[in-house]
Amino acid sequence: MSTLDPDRELMELLDRVATQDDKALKALYDRTSSKLYGLALRIVRERDAAEDVLQEAFVSIWRGAGSYRASLSPPLAWMGLIVRSRALDALRKRTADRAGVTDELDELLADTLEGDSPNPMDVNDASQQAFALHQCLTRLEAKQREVVSLAYLRDQSHGELAEQLQLPLGTVKTWIRRGLEQLRQCMARYA
Amino acid sequence: MNITQHPELLQRLAASYALGTLRGGARRRFETLAREHAAVRAAALVWQTHWSGLAELQPGTTPDPAVWLRIQNLVQADQAQHRMELARAQAASASGWWRSLRWWRGAAAAGALATVAAVLVGWQAHGGLQAATSAQIAALQQQLQATPQIQYVAVLADDQAAASMLVTFDPKNQKLVLQRVGGFQEGDDKSLQLWALPPAGGPRSLGVLGQDKLLTLTAAEQEVKQVPTLAISLEPKGGVPSEGGPTGPVLFKGALIQRML
Repeated sequence: MSTLDPDRELMELLDRVATQDDKALKALYDRTSSKLYGLALRIVRERDAAEDVLQEAFVSIWRGAGSYRASLSPPLAWMGLIVRSRALDALRKRTADRAGVTDELDELLADTLEGDSPNPMDVNDASQQAFALHQCLTRLEAKQREVVSLAYLRDQSHGELAEQLQLPLGTVKTWIRRGLEQLRQCMARYA
Repeated sequence: MNITQHPELLQRLAASYALGTLRGGARRRFETLAREHAAVRAAALVWQTHWSGLAELQPGTTPDPAVWLRIQNLVQADQAQHRMELARAQAASASGWWRSLRWWRGAAAAGALATVAAVLVGWQAHGGLQAATSAQIAALQQQLQATPQIQYVAVLADDQAAASMLVTFDPKNQKLVLQRVGGFQEGDDKSLQLWALPPAGGPRSLGVLGQDKLLTLTAAEQEVKQVPTLAISLEPKGGVPSEGGPTGPVLFKGALIQRML
């Protein structure tokens, strides 16, 4: 296995997991759990909830690895989709449980938006397609990048983002529109 | 307007559709277009793929080691279930002869012959039998004394109601005997642990099972009496302390019945 090609290594592990090889699952977990936990944490913002999401996601990966190949996705993106979908379920459940209670502002996020400090991105183990996206995202202003990322990761509308980030709706719309336009032009070069 | 003639607009709509910010009527109109035009569908797929890269770019954080232990436990329970289903399928195919009509016809004929033979032999042996009887009765009485008195019985089953463990309790000898009856086999680094689930208070460990088909544990009648249910959980090798209760999944359970006969 070549360390130069993380996709291939992860795909081979997923193939083995599909044959009920629990050692391969452990190897896959060691390789990806930190990244996937980071993703879960970004979406649900609570350690306990993010750990539950990670656990559920890996049990899903264990049971569903056989269908990975048919998805035609890079392995980490496929696992990321599973984590995101579980995390969104957890988020919706939590929102329903706390209906009527206003969510406090995400403090870390507020710092990012006010201070314009770049939100860290991590290209370790990222696939080619994610690498291209990363290149284009780095050209955006930090706040545009942040709002676009959150819209996707947390599946939030303009209105929900504005409310959560305590920004005027028009501002959020403008940031997203400009961000998308720049990304469209940039990604066209990688197509 | 044919959207496929306006590539920039198509890209912009596909990007916000896949991002999730295209909502309401605009989203439904886009979905209709996507059903009608493969190019629109393709653009949406391309952007869904682009955005899925965002999940790959998040900075990592090491999760608590307990998360892996929980996953491992669930996965092993999954594997155990899988093996059990396999064993059950094999057992079902092996018992095919039992249903064969020809076999039963043969068995009935053999039975009839055996009866005739037994009656003939009995007729001849009748005389000698009288003398042997009193000695036999004494021996039988002795044997009865040594025989365990099974007063409690439980059949532990999995959630598919397939019997997997037969438990009997002999209070006279304080012996709890477990017999594996299903094809279940735990992994080398795992142990099965037997628990009493009393009506009040938490589960109480009755002992940890070895790999043998038949296992005897020592238990006082007080520990077993008035316990409505027994359960077996999958635990790390060697089992876990009784105070904490089971940490792994409960694989089998069943009611403990006091024999009336």
